[in-house]
Amino acid sequence: MNALPTLIASAIFSASLYLIFSERVNRSIVAVAGGVLMVWLGRLFHFYSEEAALEAIDFNTLGLLFGMMILVAMLEPTGFFEYLAVLAARASKGKQIRLFTLLGVITTVLSMFLDNVTTVVLIAPVTLLICEIIGVNAIPYLITEALLSNTGGVSTLIGDPPNILIGSAAGLSFTDFLVYSLPIVFFCWLGAFFLLRYLFKKELSKRPRSVKAVMKLNPAETLNQPEAARRILIVLGGAILMFFVHHILHISPSLVALSAAAVALVWVHPEIGEVLKKIEWSVLVFFAALFVMVGGLEQAGVLESIVGLFRGASGIPPVLFGVILIWVVGTLSAVVDNIPITVALIPVIKGLGETAGMDVAPLWWALAFGAGFGGNGTIIGTSANIIVASLSEKTRTPITSKFWLRRGLPVMLVTCAIASVVYALVFPLF
Amino acid sequence: MNISKCMKRNVVSIPLDATVREAAAIFVKKHVGLLPVVDKNEKPVGVVGLRDLLSLELPVFVNFISDVDYVHDFGAVEDTRPSAKALDKSVKSVMNEAVTVEEDCGLLRAYALMLQHNLHDMLVVDKDGKLAGIASRVDIGTSILKSWDKVK
Repeated sequence: MNALPTLIASAIFSASLYLIFSERVNRSIVAVAGGVLMVWLGRLFHFYSEEAALEAIDFNTLGLLFGMMILVAMLEPTGFFEYLAVLAARASKGKQIRLFTLLGVITTVLSMFLDNVTTVVLIAPVTLLICEIIGVNAIPYLITEALLSNTGGVSTLIGDPPNILIGSAAGLSFTDFLVYSLPIVFFCWLGAFFLLRYLFKKELSKRPRSVKAVMKLNPAETLNQPEAARRILIVLGGAILMFFVHHILHISPSLVALSAAAVALVWVHPEIGEVLKKIEWSVLVFFAALFVMVGGLEQAGVLESIVGLFRGASGIPPVLFGVILIWVVGTLSAVVDNIPITVALIPVIKGLGETAGMDVAPLWWALAFGAGFGGNGTIIGTSANIIVASLSEKTRTPITSKFWLRRGLPVMLVTCAIASVVYALVFPLF
Repeated sequence: MNISKCMKRNVVSIPLDATVREAAAIFVKKHVGLLPVVDKNEKPVGVVGLRDLLSLELPVFVNFISDVDYVHDFGAVEDTRPSAKALDKSVKSVMNEAVTVEEDCGLLRAYALMLQHNLHDMLVVDKDGKLAGIASRVDIGTSILKSWDKVK
């Protein structure tokens, strides 16, 4: 093996990662520049080509993300999310624990089917409204929503980007996630929820100042476009049903998502410019460019060498290896973006299966749990955390990174610990 | 006709070292919607609008929710006041850039600038840059309409 390509590719990737993690340059800009540089130098030193770069892009992941983004972009202006939150507020009758539970559950369920960032972006502002009018501190609610949406998202194929990546690479179906991930996540969720209730017991025990106002919120008025909401929800429901059977019908999840988006677009006929404006293009660009970069790493033989390093670890019992993976990925995900970690580890795990002959099926789940729960630990752990924190900066009590650490880190440790224990117990079933 | 013919010359202003609390008291006492902030030489360095002070009081959610029609009762936020700390800050913390014209500025130019900067009042300065007067949209607009008499 030629050492030069390995060196060049690793240098580009490490420099890009460093820039992304330093947060001095926007991650999508770094990824685009890094990807292009990888292709140029790859051509020059004969380890990468334009064709290989195109092949490295996982269009299944991009299609799934894009399709779901269109559905959410269409659902957002209908007022459906406000509707759910207002229903919760009224049902709580202003009782804090009940409101906390209802909003937590709604956020979790939404995050299982929608992107976590989207869920939090849509539910957090209404939460702030409800907390302000009943006169209680919104911070426990905001932090809890971010943490529970991160946690809930781990349970399904479409719940968060690492799962989409893992599912696509390992050929795991929507049902696989429901069978292997959902039950484990359920226990982790319970742990996270009750821990949060305990950590915020002081704030949650305060009596709301004005309960009357919350009862005057009219859920029907929150739905600006009830007919559009109805149609999009029908399409979304149909898509979820299709996700259940996509592997039996041999259709990719991205085709399901894109078909649902197309049906919704045709049926609702929204102003397309407005819908496309709400698509998170920076996320799609980041993914595509990251795939190109990691494709270069793979072609240059870097990932092969890493697999070689791990081969020495094949003496470790597989259960222990999985648990170690949960904690290593979890710790990394707490301090850095979990998407590049996942994208870089996928070929390594694949390599362990192909060349080192390891049974990698359990490792995919360990990767998903680590990447999903690790982000809870710090204020910058996931995009959902960052969104909630920046929203809180506009309130009277901004969330500091220290405060997040005191509430989020215990949740990360507990969810990773529960995941490890259950993982080890059910390991023979994987 | 130029702006000096329709402006009010008796302008209420506040010094740069005033606090938010002091500004609020002047708004109440003089019943005005805009206060020019002036330096020691009477030169305008900024403006504080009623809106800038009210935004300290407005609930946070109003900035995040596109539609507040369904909120029939603002509940606890109706009687939430800004903190003493926010009120004792300098007006500098809430003031905006001052857009000014000179006394010989034409009415239509003044009006166009107000549209562009979304202003309700235009500050007028003399040759030395000192505050000379203030003209509202109504002052400027009615002066323009007055000239329509001559159209036969």
